[in-house]
Amino acid sequence: MARAWFEKRERGSAWLLARARVLALWMGRTPALGFLWLVTVYFYAFSRDGRAGIRAYYEHLLGRAPGARRIFHHYFRFAQTILDRAYLLARHKDAPRLLIRGFDAIYPSLVEGGGAILLGAHLGSFEAARAAAFEHPELKIQVLMDAEISRKLNNAMSVLCPGMHESVVSLGSPAALLRVKETLAQGGLVGMMGDRVRPDELTYRQDFLGDEALFPLGPLRLAAALRVPVFFFASTYRTAVDGSATYEVVFELLCGPAPGIDGRTQWLQELGRRYVAALESHCRIVPDNWFNFYDFWHPQIGQPLVVDWSAQPARRGSGASVDRAYPVEDLKSHDEP
Amino acid sequence: MVTVNTQQTEFEQEIARLLVSSLNLAIDPNTIDPQAPLFREGLGLDSIDMLEIALAMSQHFGIQLRSDDPDNATIFASLRALAGVVVSRRI
Repeated sequence: MARAWFEKRERGSAWLLARARVLALWMGRTPALGFLWLVTVYFYAFSRDGRAGIRAYYEHLLGRAPGARRIFHHYFRFAQTILDRAYLLARHKDAPRLLIRGFDAIYPSLVEGGGAILLGAHLGSFEAARAAAFEHPELKIQVLMDAEISRKLNNAMSVLCPGMHESVVSLGSPAALLRVKETLAQGGLVGMMGDRVRPDELTYRQDFLGDEALFPLGPLRLAAALRVPVFFFASTYRTAVDGSATYEVVFELLCGPAPGIDGRTQWLQELGRRYVAALESHCRIVPDNWFNFYDFWHPQIGQPLVVDWSAQPARRGSGASVDRAYPVEDLKSHDEP
Repeated sequence: MVTVNTQQTEFEQEIARLLVSSLNLAIDPNTIDPQAPLFREGLGLDSIDMLEIALAMSQHFGIQLRSDDPDNATIFASLRALAGVVVSRRI
């Protein structure tokens, strides 16, 4: 039975990963990639829902069903980005090259202060971007993550880079969001993911690769409340023409700071449109960097709460439940995917 | 429909109007029970709304709310608590 992505556990134990990392750093990247094929076979074989999800993705991208080889290659690419984390964060001689595109667009936010929001997706390797950030310690970067994931990530990160864990902030509490505001005020960058929906969270509809999909509204609302520019952000892998491994970190301006409450919904809608358009264009350029291993157009999250932009704000203060900042679609009025 | 258990002071009325305008709430500010929770039940606000309120407080009264402020848990507890903080810290 298909399980929602947020219930999937990381395969393999932390112990095994730690041993594998030591081994990978010792033997070098090229030999390690050789072993990675075996690891990929395991992941590929025991991941029926994941394969179905990737198949759905390529069907949308290519307009036809992908072959098994393409799906296998996709799994290999995912495993490879995990392997590359070790080399990047250890600053190993085999670490892939890092290129940055769009830094001049983001530079004013850093230097003149005010900061910016980086709205990313599960595309490529966020760790490559972190490694790039290491080269620029004056960049204050925070990552907003789900509490459970951030806990796991902190444990992993503190092994590789002590002190890095302070930059990961859990979502949810007002204090956490105030901390985000403070980071921005110092000209820092705050990163968040804009592509995965969770149950009981507000979502919005947007066409993605030809079919309507749901995206989380929370990050957009937060960006609006923080009144800073929002950039699309991704750090994706490709093999350069000379065969060298390269991660390209990209910053693309999506929207300037949100207005006050007047014009707010238009700003949110426009940001959503532009974000998904940027995501789509990057998928077409580096398709094997898409790491949402589930059917993106049919996420298993029960009844989603989808914002209804055309409705008037609901009456509040009458026991309205959390996150009903915006009126939601009537559950019966729209064909659920 | 919220029954007002206690009267809003004048200043609380001002804060209530600010809440309603900055969050675009579709309610009459005078009906906000000053002692009711702002979060979740009661007014049904979430942490992003809190951020908007913090910004509005900053813009209108010059008050800065910091993430490590020990009062954070209580500031947003109710309209009354919020008004109390504004009064004590306004510039």
